[in-house]
Amino acid sequence: MWSEKYRPKAMDKLIGNEDARLVLTLWLSKWEPGAKAALLMGPPGTGKTTFVNLLAKAAGMNLVDLNASDVRTKEMLRRRMGEAMSTVSLFGERSLIFLDEVDGLAGRADYGAVEFIKESVKESQNPIVMAANDPDSDEIKKLSSSCLAIRFRPPPPREVEMYLREVARGEGLAVGEEELRRYVREAAGDVRQAINLLQGSQQPSQGGDGDSSGRYKDKDRSVSEAFNGFFGATGKDEAMASLRALSMSPFEKVREIHRSIVKSGLPATEMAKALETVSSADLLIGRMMKSGEWRMLRYLDRLFVEELFQVVKGRAVRYSGQDDLPFPILARIWNDSKKITELSRRYAAKARTSGRSARSQDLPYVFALCSRKRFREDLEHALALDADPDLLESYDKFLQKEAAR
Amino acid sequence: MAEKKRIIVGGWFDLPRLGTDVFGALVRKAGVAYDKSTGFKFDSGTDIQAAVGTLRSAGVEVELVLRCYVCGKESCPGCPYLSSCDRTRVSTFCLCGDHAPEKSVFGTYTKTFDLNLKG
Repeated sequence: MWSEKYRPKAMDKLIGNEDARLVLTLWLSKWEPGAKAALLMGPPGTGKTTFVNLLAKAAGMNLVDLNASDVRTKEMLRRRMGEAMSTVSLFGERSLIFLDEVDGLAGRADYGAVEFIKESVKESQNPIVMAANDPDSDEIKKLSSSCLAIRFRPPPPREVEMYLREVARGEGLAVGEEELRRYVREAAGDVRQAINLLQGSQQPSQGGDGDSSGRYKDKDRSVSEAFNGFFGATGKDEAMASLRALSMSPFEKVREIHRSIVKSGLPATEMAKALETVSSADLLIGRMMKSGEWRMLRYLDRLFVEELFQVVKGRAVRYSGQDDLPFPILARIWNDSKKITELSRRYAAKARTSGRSARSQDLPYVFALCSRKRFREDLEHALALDADPDLLESYDKFLQKEAAR
Repeated sequence: MAEKKRIIVGGWFDLPRLGTDVFGALVRKAGVAYDKSTGFKFDSGTDIQAAVGTLRSAGVEVELVLRCYVCGKESCPGCPYLSSCDRTRVSTFCLCGDHAPEKSVFGTYTKTFDLNLKG
């Protein structure tokens, strides 16, 4: 994968966040015991973790990498961080302590971990860097007030284009300006996605068709390439690389794999095994959402490779695309959605039934009845959807899907 | 229609008196840098989206402009991505129309970072 091949190997080879990188580097160079910790805030994929790793390497420091999801309570945190915070080598060399995904930690309000960090930072003999994906949570806001807060953002399009041109140059490709810009726009600030689009555009020509107009240029094709790369992989490494190339949410990943498995025509035993894995993946996401343990995300692809890939290997399973599934299956998928849960909750309260019954038994029929205008209007009013435009929009989409079906 | 306040990200700018609530929201909540003598600045610690939202609700429409990381020139005029680039979301520097098309721009870019690092 080019996105792996061209992953930055030194801290000056990253793009974007120039001032953030500079501020963090200067903070580390001037750090001494008692100084503030640094808190990096920004969406996933903006280079926080990569930069901290490269910074520690450049500074010749040992990186003590902790994930907040592993340290749930103050006591666990004290055990894991305590030694790292107080230890300096015989030669006075310091370690850089990196506490990733602290928003997961802040989600567990009563365990005192955030307070522990705020207090112990003052006594640490080693610099501490924390990273959070969601700077808007109250706990992270509290934490940021006592830290050096640094925001990481996606790089601007022209810098993504610069990096893409560098990749093209490295691969000896002559790619037109407009073509590069199309990938940059489609990737919307995601450098890895832009590189994947560029790589995807080159694959058919390597197969010898030579027709640049028919190349894989859009995101959907790239998604389909990645899923088919997984299903048709010859080994675990190839399967893993294909899954990692996908730039989509874990929920979408599970949904698309589920859809493909259901439509694959696998024999019943294999189908059951495959769906068992999809079910485990769904449970894993549910637990992550509930507990805020985002670290478990790393096991999602591993689960698919170790369990599902063994079942589908050599079975000609293909990515099913966006073809709709039968309603009972769609309904089960929708059940996972927060919107459906909220609709079910409101419906259950009105119909005096349980949320579970509303989801599994009533709503499919209710949606079908919504083809009658009067019924639909009454239902929208009863569920107070007119006061919730967001929910109303989702509800409209469900109905459109049902009508199209 | 009121004229937009042009703000160069990373550069100091002034604002009319907007009251203590707006000032507090900008400096304490959105992390806008403030210096009595030089004014306000959006930097790596600023939640630019929140700051622009606060200014807008105080009646100040903002036009954000990024600077070229290599030469410091304004990079937004004539940019092919101008309409699709959300400058409240992207990082605070970009590349200008002179440097972006250069073949060796990545080398120049990394050298600039190294130079800035050495101060």
